[in-house]
Amino acid sequence: MNALQQDIAQLIIDTLNLEDVTVDDIPPDLPLFGEGLGLDSVDALELALALQKRYDIRIASDSKDARQHFTTVATLAAFVQAQQDACAS
Amino acid sequence: MKFRIDQLHAWAPGLNTDEAWQAWAHHPVRLPDNGEQPGCEFLPPMQRRRLSRLARMTMHAAWPLCGEQEQLPFVFASRHGETPRTFALLSEVADGQPLSPTQFGLSVHNAIAGQWSILRGQHGESVALAGEADTFEHAMVEAAALLGEGAPAVLVVIAEERPPSAYDGWIDDVPFSYAVALRVGGIDSNPAAPADQGWELCLEPQQGTSTTATWPHALDFVRALHGGEDRLEHAWKTRRWTWHRIR
Repeated sequence: MNALQQDIAQLIIDTLNLEDVTVDDIPPDLPLFGEGLGLDSVDALELALALQKRYDIRIASDSKDARQHFTTVATLAAFVQAQQDACAS
Repeated sequence: MKFRIDQLHAWAPGLNTDEAWQAWAHHPVRLPDNGEQPGCEFLPPMQRRRLSRLARMTMHAAWPLCGEQEQLPFVFASRHGETPRTFALLSEVADGQPLSPTQFGLSVHNAIAGQWSILRGQHGESVALAGEADTFEHAMVEAAALLGEGAPAVLVVIAEERPPSAYDGWIDDVPFSYAVALRVGGIDSNPAAPADQGWELCLEPQQGTSTTATWPHALDFVRALHGGEDRLEHAWKTRRWTWHRIR
Protein backbone atom coordinates (compact mmCIF):
# COMPACT_ATOMS: atom_id res chain seq x y z
CA MET A 1 0.00 0.00 0.00
CA ASN A 2 1.52 3.35 -0.99
CA ALA A 3 1.27 6.50 1.14
CA LEU A 4 -1.71 7.95 -0.74
CA GLN A 5 -3.61 4.67 -0.53
CA GLN A 6 -2.92 4.51 3.18
CA ASP A 7 -4.06 8.08 3.58
CA ILE A 8 -7.31 7.39 1.75
CA ALA A 9 -7.99 4.25 3.77
CA GLN A 10 -7.59 6.27 6.96
CA LEU A 11 -9.84 9.01 5.55
CA ILE A 12 -12.54 6.40 4.92
CA ILE A 13 -12.29 5.13 8.49
CA ASP A 14 -12.39 8.62 10.03
CA THR A 15 -15.06 10.07 7.77
CA LEU A 16 -17.43 7.15 7.99
CA ASN A 17 -16.86 6.52 11.69
CA LEU A 18 -15.81 2.90 11.16
CA GLU A 19 -15.17 1.68 14.69
CA ASP A 20 -12.78 -1.24 15.08
CA VAL A 21 -11.60 -0.98 11.45
CA THR A 22 -7.92 -0.31 10.74
CA VAL A 23 -6.07 0.65 7.57
CA ASP A 24 -4.88 -2.96 7.31
CA ASP A 25 -8.52 -4.09 7.09
CA ILE A 26 -8.94 -2.12 3.85
CA PRO A 27 -6.43 -3.53 1.35
CA PRO A 28 -6.14 -1.44 -1.87
CA ASP A 29 -8.13 -3.93 -3.96
CA LEU A 30 -10.97 -4.63 -1.52
CA PRO A 31 -14.33 -3.59 -3.05
CA LEU A 32 -15.60 -0.69 -0.93
CA PHE A 33 -19.29 -1.07 -1.71
CA GLY A 34 -21.67 -3.97 -1.34
CA GLU A 35 -19.77 -7.19 -0.71
CA GLY A 36 -16.38 -6.21 0.60
CA LEU A 37 -16.22 -3.35 3.07
CA GLY A 38 -20.01 -2.94 2.87
CA LEU A 39 -20.38 0.80 2.27
CA ASP A 40 -23.57 2.23 0.75
CA SER A 41 -24.66 5.21 -1.34
CA VAL A 42 -24.80 7.66 1.58
CA ASP A 43 -21.21 6.68 2.41
CA ALA A 44 -20.27 7.42 -1.21
CA LEU A 45 -21.65 10.97 -0.94
CA GLU A 46 -19.91 11.50 2.39
CA LEU A 47 -16.65 10.14 1.05
CA ALA A 48 -16.82 12.30 -2.09
CA LEU A 49 -17.20 15.38 0.11
CA ALA A 50 -14.28 14.36 2.32
CA LEU A 51 -12.02 13.65 -0.68
CA GLN A 52 -12.81 17.03 -2.22
CA LYS A 53 -12.00 18.83 1.03
CA ARG A 54 -8.89 16.84 1.78
CA TYR A 55 -7.24 16.83 -1.67
CA ASP A 56 -8.71 20.03 -3.03
CA ILE A 57 -10.13 18.26 -6.06
CA ARG A 58 -13.51 18.36 -7.76
CA ILE A 59 -15.71 15.32 -8.30
CA ALA A 60 -18.55 15.96 -10.71
CA SER A 61 -21.62 14.31 -9.24
CA ASP A 62 -22.95 13.37 -12.66
CA SER A 63 -19.69 11.87 -13.85
CA LYS A 64 -20.25 8.47 -15.43
CA ASP A 65 -16.78 7.51 -14.28
CA ALA A 66 -17.45 8.21 -10.59
CA ARG A 67 -18.63 4.68 -9.95
CA GLN A 68 -15.38 3.33 -11.43
CA HIS A 69 -13.26 5.69 -9.34
CA PHE A 70 -15.01 4.66 -6.14
CA THR A 71 -14.53 0.91 -6.58
CA THR A 72 -11.51 0.40 -4.31
CA VAL A 73 -8.89 2.36 -2.41
CA ALA A 74 -6.52 1.72 -5.33
CA THR A 75 -8.91 3.24 -7.91
CA LEU A 76 -9.61 6.20 -5.62
CA ALA A 77 -5.89 6.81 -5.14
CA ALA A 78 -5.31 6.68 -8.91
CA PHE A 79 -8.18 9.13 -9.43
CA VAL A 80 -6.94 11.57 -6.76
CA GLN A 81 -3.41 11.37 -8.21
CA ALA A 82 -4.68 12.06 -11.74
CA GLN A 83 -6.74 15.04 -10.54
CA GLN A 84 -3.80 16.50 -8.64
CA ASP A 85 -1.46 15.99 -11.58
CA ALA A 86 -3.97 17.66 -13.90
CA CYS A 87 -4.21 20.67 -11.59
CA ALA A 88 -0.44 20.92 -11.21
CA SER A 89 0.28 20.94 -14.94
CA MET B 1 -55.85 7.05 31.31
CA LYS B 2 -54.50 3.85 32.83
CA PHE B 3 -51.64 1.58 31.84
CA ARG B 4 -48.96 -0.66 33.27
CA ILE B 5 -45.25 0.04 33.34
CA ASP B 6 -44.01 -3.48 32.69
CA GLN B 7 -40.33 -2.68 32.30
CA LEU B 8 -37.98 0.24 32.75
CA HIS B 9 -34.48 0.57 31.34
CA ALA B 10 -32.64 3.84 31.60
CA TRP B 11 -29.23 5.30 30.89
CA ALA B 12 -27.38 8.39 32.03
CA PRO B 13 -23.64 9.08 32.34
CA GLY B 14 -22.38 6.69 35.02
CA LEU B 15 -25.83 5.19 35.64
CA ASN B 16 -25.83 1.87 33.87
CA THR B 17 -27.42 -0.54 36.30
CA ASP B 18 -30.60 -0.83 38.29
CA GLU B 19 -28.60 -0.46 41.50
CA ALA B 20 -26.99 2.75 40.27
CA TRP B 21 -30.42 4.18 39.39
CA GLN B 22 -31.75 3.04 42.74
CA ALA B 23 -28.98 4.97 44.46
CA TRP B 24 -29.62 8.02 42.28
CA ALA B 25 -33.35 7.84 43.03
CA HIS B 26 -32.67 8.05 46.74
CA HIS B 27 -30.15 10.86 46.37
CA PRO B 28 -30.88 12.57 43.06
CA VAL B 29 -27.95 14.73 42.01
CA ARG B 30 -26.89 16.51 38.86
CA LEU B 31 -24.53 14.03 37.22
CA PRO B 32 -21.33 15.13 35.51
CA ASP B 33 -21.80 14.73 31.75
CA ASN B 34 -18.55 14.39 29.83
CA GLY B 35 -20.02 13.09 26.63
CA GLU B 36 -20.01 9.44 27.66
CA GLN B 37 -22.17 7.20 25.50
CA PRO B 38 -23.30 3.58 25.59
CA GLY B 39 -21.15 1.21 23.53
CA CYS B 40 -24.08 -0.61 21.87
CA GLU B 41 -21.89 -3.67 21.38
CA PHE B 42 -25.00 -5.69 20.55
CA LEU B 43 -24.72 -4.11 17.10
CA PRO B 44 -21.94 -4.88 14.60
CA PRO B 45 -19.62 -1.87 14.08
CA MET B 46 -20.88 -1.25 10.53
CA GLN B 47 -24.38 -0.76 11.95
CA ARG B 48 -23.17 1.56 14.69
CA ARG B 49 -21.43 3.99 12.36
CA ARG B 50 -24.39 6.33 11.89
CA LEU B 51 -25.69 6.26 15.44
CA SER B 52 -25.30 9.59 17.18
CA ARG B 53 -24.91 9.85 20.91
CA LEU B 54 -28.66 10.33 21.39
CA ALA B 55 -29.34 7.39 19.08
CA ARG B 56 -26.96 5.17 21.04
CA MET B 57 -28.62 6.18 24.30
CA THR B 58 -32.01 5.36 22.79
CA MET B 59 -30.91 2.00 21.37
CA HIS B 60 -29.20 1.03 24.60
CA ALA B 61 -32.26 1.88 26.70
CA ALA B 62 -34.87 0.32 24.41
CA TRP B 63 -32.97 -2.73 23.13
CA PRO B 64 -33.70 -5.23 25.95
CA LEU B 65 -37.37 -4.24 26.21
CA CYS B 66 -38.39 -5.72 22.85
CA GLY B 67 -38.19 -9.45 22.17
CA GLU B 68 -36.35 -10.74 19.09
CA GLN B 69 -39.56 -11.81 17.39
CA GLU B 70 -41.76 -9.02 18.64
CA GLN B 71 -43.24 -6.15 16.67
CA LEU B 72 -44.07 -3.24 18.98
CA PRO B 73 -45.13 0.33 18.28
CA PHE B 74 -42.36 2.79 19.14
CA VAL B 75 -42.80 6.25 20.65
CA PHE B 76 -39.68 8.41 20.60
CA ALA B 77 -39.98 11.63 22.57
CA SER B 78 -37.42 14.38 22.98
CA ARG B 79 -38.06 18.03 23.68
CA HIS B 80 -34.81 19.25 22.20
CA GLY B 81 -33.69 16.44 19.90
CA GLU B 82 -30.13 16.31 18.62
CA THR B 83 -28.91 19.81 19.39
CA PRO B 84 -25.22 18.94 18.78
CA ARG B 85 -26.05 17.82 15.23
CA THR B 86 -28.21 20.87 14.57
CA PHE B 87 -25.49 23.15 15.89
CA ALA B 88 -22.81 21.45 13.78
CA LEU B 89 -24.92 21.79 10.61
CA LEU B 90 -25.74 25.44 11.35
CA SER B 91 -22.04 26.10 11.93
CA GLU B 92 -21.22 24.63 8.52
CA VAL B 93 -23.90 26.81 6.91
CA ALA B 94 -22.46 29.86 8.68
CA ASP B 95 -18.97 29.00 7.42
CA GLY B 96 -20.24 28.49 3.88
CA GLN B 97 -19.12 24.85 3.98
CA PRO B 98 -20.95 22.05 2.19
CA LEU B 99 -23.16 20.02 4.53
CA SER B 100 -22.35 16.43 5.38
CA PRO B 101 -24.90 14.25 3.55
CA THR B 102 -25.06 11.85 6.50
CA GLN B 103 -25.61 14.61 9.05
CA PHE B 104 -28.17 16.32 6.85
CA GLY B 105 -30.01 13.07 6.16
CA LEU B 106 -30.31 12.31 9.86
CA SER B 107 -31.29 15.81 10.92
CA VAL B 108 -34.98 15.11 11.35
CA HIS B 109 -36.72 14.41 14.63
CA ASN B 110 -37.85 10.94 13.59
CA ALA B 111 -34.40 9.78 12.40
CA ILE B 112 -33.76 7.78 15.58
CA ALA B 113 -37.19 6.12 15.35
CA GLY B 114 -36.25 5.22 11.77
CA GLN B 115 -32.91 3.77 12.86
CA TRP B 116 -34.69 1.70 15.52
CA SER B 117 -37.05 0.41 12.85
CA ILE B 118 -34.17 -0.57 10.53
CA LEU B 119 -31.91 -2.08 13.18
CA ARG B 120 -34.67 -4.08 14.84
CA GLY B 121 -36.64 -4.96 11.69
CA GLN B 122 -39.72 -3.24 13.09
CA HIS B 123 -42.35 -2.44 10.51
CA GLY B 124 -45.15 -1.15 12.72
CA GLU B 125 -46.07 2.35 13.80
CA SER B 126 -43.51 4.73 15.18
CA VAL B 127 -44.05 8.24 16.46
CA ALA B 128 -41.54 11.01 17.12
CA LEU B 129 -42.72 13.71 19.50
CA ALA B 130 -41.30 17.03 20.65
CA GLY B 131 -43.32 18.81 23.29
CA GLU B 132 -42.51 21.17 26.13
CA ALA B 133 -41.40 20.28 29.65
CA ASP B 134 -44.23 17.75 29.76
CA THR B 135 -43.06 15.91 26.62
CA PHE B 136 -42.91 12.77 28.77
CA GLU B 137 -46.61 12.92 29.60
CA HIS B 138 -47.51 13.57 25.97
CA ALA B 139 -45.54 10.46 25.02
CA MET B 140 -47.59 8.48 27.53
CA VAL B 141 -50.80 9.84 26.01
CA GLU B 142 -49.54 8.55 22.67
CA ALA B 143 -48.76 5.15 24.20
CA ALA B 144 -52.21 4.97 25.79
CA ALA B 145 -53.76 5.77 22.42
CA LEU B 146 -51.75 2.99 20.72
CA LEU B 147 -52.79 0.55 23.46
CA GLY B 148 -56.39 1.66 22.92
CA GLU B 149 -55.98 0.82 19.23
CA GLY B 150 -55.08 -2.74 20.22
CA ALA B 151 -51.29 -2.77 20.51
CA PRO B 152 -50.18 -5.56 22.90
CA ALA B 153 -47.52 -3.25 24.35
CA VAL B 154 -45.79 -0.01 23.40
CA LEU B 155 -42.15 1.03 23.72
CA VAL B 156 -41.69 4.60 24.88
CA VAL B 157 -38.29 6.29 24.94
CA ILE B 158 -37.70 9.76 26.33
CA ALA B 159 -34.21 10.92 25.47
CA GLU B 160 -32.44 14.22 25.97
CA GLU B 161 -28.86 15.24 25.39
CA ARG B 162 -26.84 18.02 26.98
CA PRO B 163 -26.84 20.79 24.38
CA PRO B 164 -23.73 22.61 23.14
CA SER B 165 -22.79 25.61 25.30
CA ALA B 166 -24.22 27.98 22.68
CA TYR B 167 -27.65 26.96 23.98
CA ASP B 168 -26.85 28.01 27.58
CA GLY B 169 -29.58 30.30 28.78
CA TRP B 170 -32.03 28.86 26.25
CA ILE B 171 -32.20 25.22 27.28
CA ASP B 172 -32.23 24.83 31.05
CA ASP B 173 -34.07 21.55 31.58
CA VAL B 174 -31.43 18.99 30.63
CA PRO B 175 -29.26 18.69 33.76
CA PHE B 176 -27.45 15.76 32.14
CA SER B 177 -28.04 13.48 29.17
CA TYR B 178 -30.47 10.66 29.77
CA ALA B 179 -32.65 8.10 28.05
CA VAL B 180 -35.58 6.43 29.75
CA ALA B 181 -37.23 3.47 28.00
CA LEU B 182 -40.52 2.06 29.22
CA ARG B 183 -42.42 -0.96 28.09
CA VAL B 184 -46.04 0.00 28.59
CA GLY B 185 -48.93 -2.46 28.64
CA GLY B 186 -52.69 -2.17 28.86
CA ILE B 187 -54.15 -2.44 32.32
CA ASP B 188 -56.23 -5.53 31.58
CA SER B 189 -54.00 -7.34 29.13
CA ASN B 190 -51.95 -9.21 31.70
CA PRO B 191 -53.86 -10.18 34.86
CA ALA B 192 -50.78 -11.97 36.16
CA ALA B 193 -48.76 -8.76 36.32
CA PRO B 194 -47.98 -7.41 39.80
CA ALA B 195 -50.71 -5.00 40.84
CA ASP B 196 -48.34 -2.15 41.65
CA GLN B 197 -47.20 -1.79 38.04
CA GLY B 198 -50.44 0.01 37.20
CA TRP B 199 -50.57 3.77 36.93
CA GLU B 200 -53.27 6.29 36.22
CA LEU B 201 -52.33 9.55 34.54
CA CYS B 202 -54.77 12.47 34.68
CA LEU B 203 -54.65 15.88 33.05
CA GLU B 204 -56.34 18.89 34.56
CA PRO B 205 -56.18 22.57 33.77
CA GLN B 206 -53.53 24.38 35.74
CA GLN B 207 -54.49 27.66 37.38
CA GLY B 208 -52.15 30.40 38.41
CA THR B 209 -48.43 30.41 37.95
CA SER B 210 -46.79 27.42 36.44
CA THR B 211 -44.34 25.43 38.49
CA THR B 212 -41.70 23.21 37.04
CA ALA B 213 -40.58 19.99 38.67
CA THR B 214 -37.10 19.82 40.17
CA TRP B 215 -36.09 17.16 37.67
CA PRO B 216 -37.20 16.52 34.10
CA HIS B 217 -40.53 14.70 34.32
CA ALA B 218 -39.24 11.37 32.96
CA LEU B 219 -36.36 11.35 35.46
CA ASP B 220 -38.74 12.30 38.24
CA PHE B 221 -40.92 9.35 37.26
CA VAL B 222 -37.90 7.01 37.37
CA ARG B 223 -37.13 8.40 40.81
CA ALA B 224 -40.71 7.70 41.93
CA LEU B 225 -40.68 4.19 40.46
CA HIS B 226 -37.50 3.28 42.33
CA GLY B 227 -38.62 5.02 45.49
CA GLY B 228 -41.96 3.26 45.57
CA GLU B 229 -43.85 6.54 45.55
CA ASP B 230 -47.56 6.42 44.79
CA ARG B 231 -48.29 9.91 43.61
CA LEU B 232 -46.61 12.54 41.46
CA GLU B 233 -47.69 15.92 40.24
CA HIS B 234 -46.12 17.56 37.20
CA ALA B 235 -47.40 20.98 36.29
CA TRP B 236 -46.41 22.93 33.23
CA LYS B 237 -48.04 26.15 32.05
CA THR B 238 -51.77 25.45 31.73
CA ARG B 239 -51.49 21.71 32.32
CA ARG B 240 -51.34 19.76 35.55
CA TRP B 241 -50.56 16.07 35.22
CA THR B 242 -51.09 13.78 38.15
CA TRP B 243 -49.74 10.29 38.32
CA HIS B 244 -50.94 7.77 40.83
CA ARG B 245 -50.23 4.15 41.31
CA ILE B 246 -53.19 1.79 41.04
CA ARG B 247 -52.99 -0.99 43.60
